[in-house]
Amino acid sequence: MNKKIVSGLAIAAAATLALGVVATSPASAAAKKSVTLAFQGPLTGGDAQLGQDQIPGAIYAIALYNAKNPAVKVELIKADSQCDGTVAANIAPGVAANKAVIGVIGTSCSGEARNSFPAYRAAGLTMIAPSASAVSLTDPKAPDRGFPIFHRVVAHDGFQAPALARYAAKGVTNPKYYVIDDMTTYGGPLAKGTLPTAKKLGTVVGTDSVAKGTADYTSVASKVKASGANVVIYGGYTTDAAKLFKALRDGGYTGILASGDGTNTSDFPGLAGKAAEGVRLTAADVPFDSILTKAQLAEFTKITGIKVPGLYSTTAFNATNIFLDCISQGKLTRSAIQLCVNSGTFKGVGGDVIKFNRYGDIIGGAPVGGYLVKDGVINYDAVA
Amino acid sequence: MNFSVVTSQFWSLALQGLALGLIYALVSLGYTMVYGVLRLINFANSEVFMFGTFATLYIEVHFLGYDIGAPSLHGFKLVYTLAFALLASMLACAILAIIVELVAYRRLRARGANRLASLISAIGVSIFLLEGMRMITISRPMTTPRLLDKWSFGEFHGANFRIDTVLTIVAPIIIFVVLDQFVTRSRLGKSIRAVSMSEENSKLMGININRVITLTFCIGGLTTGAAAFLYTTVYENTIFNVGFNMGIAAFTAAVLGGIGNLRGAFFGGIALGMLEQFASAMLGSQWKAVTVFAVLVVVLLFKPNGLFGEAVQQTRT
Repeated sequence: MNKKIVSGLAIAAAATLALGVVATSPASAAAKKSVTLAFQGPLTGGDAQLGQDQIPGAIYAIALYNAKNPAVKVELIKADSQCDGTVAANIAPGVAANKAVIGVIGTSCSGEARNSFPAYRAAGLTMIAPSASAVSLTDPKAPDRGFPIFHRVVAHDGFQAPALARYAAKGVTNPKYYVIDDMTTYGGPLAKGTLPTAKKLGTVVGTDSVAKGTADYTSVASKVKASGANVVIYGGYTTDAAKLFKALRDGGYTGILASGDGTNTSDFPGLAGKAAEGVRLTAADVPFDSILTKAQLAEFTKITGIKVPGLYSTTAFNATNIFLDCISQGKLTRSAIQLCVNSGTFKGVGGDVIKFNRYGDIIGGAPVGGYLVKDGVINYDAVA
Repeated sequence: MNFSVVTSQFWSLALQGLALGLIYALVSLGYTMVYGVLRLINFANSEVFMFGTFATLYIEVHFLGYDIGAPSLHGFKLVYTLAFALLASMLACAILAIIVELVAYRRLRARGANRLASLISAIGVSIFLLEGMRMITISRPMTTPRLLDKWSFGEFHGANFRIDTVLTIVAPIIIFVVLDQFVTRSRLGKSIRAVSMSEENSKLMGININRVITLTFCIGGLTTGAAAFLYTTVYENTIFNVGFNMGIAAFTAAVLGGIGNLRGAFFGGIALGMLEQFASAMLGSQWKAVTVFAVLVVVLLFKPNGLFGEAVQQTRT
């Protein structure tokens, strides 16, 4: 009813926040005593768990670095995008204006990445995203690409989408796919990206696009049921996936439900209730707790207060460590960081080598994991 | 365009459209009642709805102590619990709607303020409520326990008569009939209609205008509260901005039916719900909003006051 006014207030609030970030920022980069990294992702809102799962990885990496008493300490500020492109477009200029910030760990979502590019590109601020996976962000031909400031330590949806189609139909003879997306920068291309593999493995009996934030999914449930589908793939985020999957189960659909990493957040089983059971999810991530030793996990818990690391803690840890690696080499300006990230070779926590191609993707891609919801918990299952 | 889905799923889509439309209708009554007496849109009604969904959640989870994993209820306990949550939501929304009237409308009206001032103050209250809930909930979605197990009475040509669907159809019809009779037959209802026709003449007839306006907001709050309860029971979730889309839909329904007209709001809601379901099925969900507003424009071209509206709009039956 009052969208324009709410938007106006959001802009004003974002500007105030941005100024606040500037005003309260710690020592300037010029002093070379400390520098700041910004984490940008959803920390509140319907998709907040995505960011809340990632930020402990960044906090842990910085805590380990600072504990070594380096010459230059690193501080972390948080920029809450709510996984919303409009919000991101308002907060990114504030982060960019903060001279202490020399790198952005983020963004978590693809839509917000695209809307943040103008501010960060103008400020020469390098981004390393733990989970923004839309193909277009690193596509040299795409108008919304993030070149030359955007990088990501996650395999893009060109890898995830076929893996999602494969994993969704694993063990199903004659899969009949119904593919639904949420019409976002992330969900739309991810869902469409599953279609070629789906057509190879079985038949696509229907597709639909339902705007993110829709309350009623009963008409979609009717269509899915009428189509005779036995595999439903959803490209979208947790909150809407929970609503859709509930509507499908309540509408009598008994086949497989599957979604990508946008839904693979620890609050999904709670939001979807019984409909979450058996849901197949993917993510280009190796669970952090499977990499850390017992002692490291205890240390992680002590520092972050999180017992079980969430999805993309690993990639957030890796993204942060790339910045920290450059900082420890004495790269303390935005331009030096950009050069270091663009040309450097880094080591991931799992022993993997990370090097970016010209457009910001990791060379060689990364495996996509398949996850299964069982007894209200998302468990790693197998390579998708 | 997919006609086969419409033919094969006609009764299913119609039933779901009816259920969805009746939730719209209840919220729409809140808009139309206030418009009838004040000739102003109560922009805060969408947040009254939002408040009702959280009131339902609070009653079920915190007051009655059913956590998210609580098993479904049966028998008297189920009826008692749902009736209690329904009444609590209606009461909470009615109180909030009265507060909205006192804060955003009454004082400005008493001082003879420009009508636009009331409009802006209602928007202000709406933003206050929206942002307040956003901060309280840190924008996170919340789920309610499935207290009502979704068992089915049976199917008719593919239409599944699930208990929650039937409840969502029967409850609004009862509420509407009661409201319709109240406005038509009761002394207070007649006062509302009189004020909607002429505030000046009503004053001369000894009607307490302020009391009638407060009553109108209260009734709007009650119907919106009922809608919020039904929404939460069917969809089992809410979020701070849940009222935004619902407000747009309900306001559209009120305009489609003829704003200021009770029956218009009711049937406008049903029409909108049906239209959304069939447009989604036939054209794809991405065309739902486009279709709804295209139809609205066409209807208004031929019936500028809506399907049930009259040249001089009144809160009447």
